Amino acid sequence: MTAEVLLFWVFGVATAVGALLVVGAKSPMSSAIALVATFFFLAGIYVLLWAHAIAVLQVLVYAGAIMVLFLFVIMLLSLAEAEISAPVMKISRLIGGASTLGLLAVLAVAIWRLPPQGQLIAGPQSSFGTLRALGELVYTTYLLPFEAVSLLLLVAILGAVVVAKARI
Amino acid sequence: MPFFDCLQQASFFDCLAHPPLDPYAVSQGLWLIIALPLAGALLSGLLGRLLGRANTNLIACAAVGGSFVISLLAFLALNDRSATLQTPFSDEPLRFALGHDFGTWFAVGAFRAQFGLAVDHLSAVMALVVTGVGFLIHVYSTSYMGHDRGYWRYFAYLNLFVAMMLLLVLADNLPLLFVGWEGVGLCSYLLIGFWYEDAAKAWAGRKAFVVNRIGDFGFLIGMFLLTLWVGAFDAQTRRFAGQGRALDHWRAGMMERGPLTFHGLEEAVRRIPPAPAATAGAVTLQTPIESGPLQGLTFGQALTAVLLLFMLGAAGKSAQLPLFVWLPDAMAGPTPVSALIHAATMVTAGVYLFSRIGFLLVLSPAAMATVALVGAATALFAALIAFGQDDIKKVLAYSTISQLGFMFMAVGLGVFWAAIFHLATHAFFKACLFLGAGSVMHGNADETDIKRLGGLRREMPWTAATFLVASIAISGFVIPLSGFFSKDAILHGVHASRLAVFEWVPTAVWVVGLVAAFCTAFYIGRLYLLVFEGKRSPQARVAHPHESDWPMTVPLVILAALSVFAAVYGLPIIHAMGRDQTLIENYLLPVSRIPEELERIHRTVAIEEAAGWSDWMKTWTEAWFIALAGGLLAGVLYLWYFPSPHRAPSALGRALMRAARNGFYVDRLYELAIVRPTKLISFLLYKVVDTLLIDTIFVRGTAWVTARVATVIRYLQTGDAQSYAAVMALALFLAAGYALIQVLK
Amino acid sequence: MVSTQHYLLLAAFLFCIGMFGVMVRRNALVVFMCVELMLNAANLTFLAFARQRGDSIGHASAFFVIAVAAAEAAIGLAILIAVFRSRGTLNVEEIKTMKH
Repeated sequence: MTAEVLLFWVFGVATAVGALLVVGAKSPMSSAIALVATFFFLAGIYVLLWAHAIAVLQVLVYAGAIMVLFLFVIMLLSLAEAEISAPVMKISRLIGGASTLGLLAVLAVAIWRLPPQGQLIAGPQSSFGTLRALGELVYTTYLLPFEAVSLLLLVAILGAVVVAKARI
Repeated sequence: MPFFDCLQQASFFDCLAHPPLDPYAVSQGLWLIIALPLAGALLSGLLGRLLGRANTNLIACAAVGGSFVISLLAFLALNDRSATLQTPFSDEPLRFALGHDFGTWFAVGAFRAQFGLAVDHLSAVMALVVTGVGFLIHVYSTSYMGHDRGYWRYFAYLNLFVAMMLLLVLADNLPLLFVGWEGVGLCSYLLIGFWYEDAAKAWAGRKAFVVNRIGDFGFLIGMFLLTLWVGAFDAQTRRFAGQGRALDHWRAGMMERGPLTFHGLEEAVRRIPPAPAATAGAVTLQTPIESGPLQGLTFGQALTAVLLLFMLGAAGKSAQLPLFVWLPDAMAGPTPVSALIHAATMVTAGVYLFSRIGFLLVLSPAAMATVALVGAATALFAALIAFGQDDIKKVLAYSTISQLGFMFMAVGLGVFWAAIFHLATHAFFKACLFLGAGSVMHGNADETDIKRLGGLRREMPWTAATFLVASIAISGFVIPLSGFFSKDAILHGVHASRLAVFEWVPTAVWVVGLVAAFCTAFYIGRLYLLVFEGKRSPQARVAHPHESDWPMTVPLVILAALSVFAAVYGLPIIHAMGRDQTLIENYLLPVSRIPEELERIHRTVAIEEAAGWSDWMKTWTEAWFIALAGGLLAGVLYLWYFPSPHRAPSALGRALMRAARNGFYVDRLYELAIVRPTKLISFLLYKVVDTLLIDTIFVRGTAWVTARVATVIRYLQTGDAQSYAAVMALALFLAAGYALIQVLK
Repeated sequence: MVSTQHYLLLAAFLFCIGMFGVMVRRNALVVFMCVELMLNAANLTFLAFARQRGDSIGHASAFFVIAVAAAEAAIGLAILIAVFRSRGTLNVEEIKTMKH
C-alpha cells in the first residue's frame, strides 16, 4: 500500500461522491458547492498524475473563477427559483438513464481490455508536468491554438456582456 | 466578259455547244442555284406583307427564274470538254461533271458529312426540270392566287420548296440529300395545309407528313445500315493485298469526304469482284461480314436490306404501294402546288434517288425485283382507281401515282435513262394537265366534279387545246408525243431486260405495264371527254365560264409545247457504241455507264439492246395500238354509250365504280388496321399510364405519402432539449457498443 | 502502482454521472454544472494518457479545455440570465419554443 495508491483511493472516492452529490442534490446551491469540492479533489488526482501545472490551473480557473461565476449567478437568480415538484418519469428520461448505464458498462469493458501498459515513467522527471514544460509546448508548437483561444476568450467576454445586459 | 466572246463564234450553235464558261467558276457558283430561291423564301416570308402583292410575285418568280438561268449555265458548262470533277476518291477525274465541296457539315469520329454539291448530266436534267417548270408554275400562281390573303406565305413556301428540291438534286452525299428530302416533305405539308382554317385540309397535310415520315424512317435506317456496310467493307478489305491497295485512294477520299458520298460509294463498289472470278480472300458480295451489328449477313444481303429500306423511303416520298394514300388527299392544296410538288418534282425524288444510287441497286437482283414489282403493281392499281374518280384533281393524282409506278418499273430493271426521260416528260405534261385543271376550276367557281362540267371547249379554247395536247402526250393516242416515246422506252427496256435469279419478273412487269398503258389512255380520255366535250352538265355552277388570263394560259402553252418537243429526245438518232441510241440515253451515258459496267460484271441484269430503227418501230407500233384501243374505248363509252338515254351502267359496273371511287378501300383498311389500334394504344397510354400511373400514383401519391408520414413524424420534435439529449446518448451508447464489438472480434 | 486504467475508469464514471445529470435534472443551472463535470472527466482522460505516454501533449490539451470551458461558462451563464429574464423560469421543461 504505497502512498500513491492510498491517496488515489481517497481522492477518487471523494471525487465520485462529490459528483453524485452534484447530480443528486436538491438545491442548485448544494450542487454548486459539491462541484467545487469535486474540483478540488480532482486537482489532487491531477497531482498524482504528475500534472502539477494543470492541477494548479484547475484550482485557480475552474474552482476559483468558473465556480465563483456559477455561485454568483445562482445567488442572482435564487429569488425566483424554487425546486420544482417531483421528477416525472418520462420515456426520454428512461432512455437517457439506460443509455448512460450502458455506456458506462461499455467503457468499463473497453478500459479493462486495454493492452498492458507500456513503459511508465519510473519517477517524475524533473520537468514533466511543470509549468515550464507546458509553457514550452503551448508557446511553440501550439501557438496558433493559444492565440485562437485568447481570441475566443475576448469574444466570450463581449458576448457575455451583450447577452446579459438588460438594455443594450 | 467571257459571254461576249460567244458573239464572235462562227455560228450560234457552236456557241451553245462550246460555251465560253469557265467550268471552275460554275462549280464554285453552284450554291447560288439553291441560295436564290432560299433568299426569295426569306424575303417573301418576312417582308412579303410589307412589300405588297406585286413585289412579292416579282421576288418569287425572279428567284426561281434566276435559279433557272444559273442551272442553264451549269448545263451548258457541262458540255465543255474541260468539265471534269476531280474527286478525292480516285485518280481519274469524272468527265462531264462539276462540283465543289463547300466545307464540313459535321464530323463525328470516323463519320463526316460535307456540304458538297455536284452536278452531272443527271442532276442537270433534274435541276432544269425543277427550276423551269417551277418558274412557269410561279408565274401561273401569281394569277391563280391573285385573290388569296396569304399570298406572301404561299410564295415563301413555294420558293423554299424549290430550294430544298434543288438541294436534294445537287447534293453529292446522302446526308445532304436527306436534308433536301425532308425539306420538300416539310414544304409539301405546309402547302397542302395552306388553307389551314379548313380542318379537313389541315388534316390532309398531316396525313401527307405522317406517311412521308414512315418513308423517311426507312431512308434513315437505310443510311445507317449503309454506313455500317461501308465500315465493314473498309475493315475487311484492308487484309487482302490487291483489293486493299486498290482501295487506298478510296480510303483517303473517305477521310476527307465521309463514307456516304456518292462518288465514294461508286468507287468502292467498283472494286468488288464478282464471286466466281474472285481471288481467294478478296471481299465479294458473298463474303460474310465478320463483326459489328451486321455480323453474319453477307455483303450482298446487307446491301439488299439497305436498298429495300431506301425503297420504303422512296415509296413514301413517291407515293408507291403501300404508302401512296397521302397523294390523293394532298389535292386539298392549291392546284399549282399539286402541279409542282405532286406531279413534277417532289414525287420524283424517289426515282432520282434510285438513279443516283443505281450502281448499288444493280448489285442486288432481289432489290431490283422488288422495286420493279412495286412499281408495276402501283401503276396498275392506281390506274384502276383513276377509272372511278369524279374529282378532276383526284384523277390526275392517281394518274401521277400510276406514272411514277412506270418510272419505278424502269429503275427496278436497270433502264435508268428511260425512267429519267419519263420523269422529264411527265413533269411537262402532268404539270400542264394540273394547271389546266386549275384553269378549269378557276373559270368554273372551283368546281372539281367532272360530272358537273362538260363542253368547256368552246368557252375555254386555250385551256382545252393545251389539255388535249397533254392528254395525247400522256396516253400516246394517235399522235406520238413525248409521253408516248418515254413510256414506250420504259416498256421496251423492261421487255428486253433479263434479271438474274428472278427471271419471271421482267415479263410480268412488262405485261402489267402494257395493261396500265391501256388504262392510262382510257382514264385520261374519259377525263378529257367529260370535261371539255359533250353538253354542259345541268348541275354546273357557272353558266358561261371564261378563259383565264395570260399568266395562266401562257405557262400552259409553254408546257404543252415542251410536251411535244421533248419527243425529240426519245428518237434513236445517235449512232454510238455500235447501235442507235436515243438522244436522252446518250446524254445520260456518263452517269449510267457505271451501273451498266457493274451489271455486266456481276451479271445481275442483262438488257438486250435494240439494234436499230426496226426494233424500235416494232415496239412503237405495239404501244400505239394499245393506246389507240384505250382511247377509242373511252371515246365510245363516254361520247356515245353513256350519254344515250336508255343506257345505264349495270349493277356490277356500278359496284366496281364505287369500289374504284373509294380507292378500293385502301384508306379504310389503313384506318382499321393501323390508325385505330394506334389511337387505342395512345388512349390507353394516356388514361392508364399517364393519368393513372404517373400522375395519380407517382406524383400525387408521393406527395400524399410524404404528407401522411410528416403528420406522424412531427411528434418527434418535442422542443424538449433533454429528450434530444436522450436520443443522442442512446446513439452514443449504441455506437460505442458496436465499436467495442468490432474491436474485440 | 496505480495503473492508467484506474484513472480511466474514474474518468468514465465521472463522465457517465455527468451525462446522467444532463438528462435528468430539470434546473438549467444544474444541467450546466453536469456539463462541466463531463468536461473534467475528459481532462482526466487526457492527463492519464499523457502520463502513460510520457508526453506533454495531453497537458496542452487539458490547458485548452480549461480555457474554452471558461469562455463557455461565461457565455452560457449570460444566456441563462437572459432566458430567465424573458421567461421567468429556469425549468428546462418549460423552455420549449421549438415544439411542433
